[in-house]
Amino acid sequence: MLIFSVFKTLTDQIVTVELKNDLCITGTLKSVDQFLNIRLDKISVVDPEKHPHMMAVKNCFIRGSVVRYVQIPATAVDTQLLEDATRREHASTHKR
Amino acid sequence: MADLSAQVQEPFDLVRLSLSERVFVKLKGERSLTGVLHAYDGHMNMIMSDVEETILMVEPEESGSTVQTMKRAMEMLFVRGDSVILVSPGAR
Amino acid sequence: MSSEPPQDSSTGAVGTPADFLKGVIGKRVVVRLISGVDYQGLLSCLDGYMNIALEQTEEYVDGAVVNRYGDAFIRGNNVLYISAMESI
Repeated sequence: MLIFSVFKTLTDQIVTVELKNDLCITGTLKSVDQFLNIRLDKISVVDPEKHPHMMAVKNCFIRGSVVRYVQIPATAVDTQLLEDATRREHASTHKR
Repeated sequence: MADLSAQVQEPFDLVRLSLSERVFVKLKGERSLTGVLHAYDGHMNMIMSDVEETILMVEPEESGSTVQTMKRAMEMLFVRGDSVILVSPGAR
Repeated sequence: MSSEPPQDSSTGAVGTPADFLKGVIGKRVVVRLISGVDYQGLLSCLDGYMNIALEQTEEYVDGAVVNRYGDAFIRGNNVLYISAMESI
């Protein structure tokens, strides 16, 4: 839930999603759901020569389970806020 | 961290104690990361900054196989938990 | 008559899997992953998903140490088995 919330705050930011098949797609984050499925707009493929079949694609829906990484603009996140939120979630989901 | 066993009652405690610290992460597909840990959840999804990724590429050749490493830097990264094998605090 | 199953605490040969997991905490163990990689270390704790915290961890690939970690969190889905290196 915490990571889902973080991604919601990142909507309209430009991110690069790296899939488990090594395909890297950069685009504007339009929406995300609880499974961390991702919708990207205005996409471009980082290595277009390697993936010519993606040339015509302008926007896409990425199933969360095929994602390896998402590169995020560092300026878009407050790291102190993330750490506090993580400690809070840890405290609530793990009984002491 | 003198008496770790006193602070660590369950495995996730170890990860919590690494928040805002540099960690080493071993991933599937001969990949590893070092970076500063800022967030994680029960799936071991993580958000890290100042990340260096190392990819081991094993290339089979006639005279045995050669291992090449490829490095990559990323400033802020979300890592999906299902790729994670191991997390170790205090990245070397 | 006792309904308790017979226990042999000296060998750990008898008992439920849960008994084993309880007894093995704090002991030296080998954790084998599905990939075949072994981790040898002191088992700090584990949870229901088989997530594991190890101390003084040595990583073995093909029988040789390739890495050492002071502490290590191992994500449970990768675990094939946990083997005790001392009696429990």
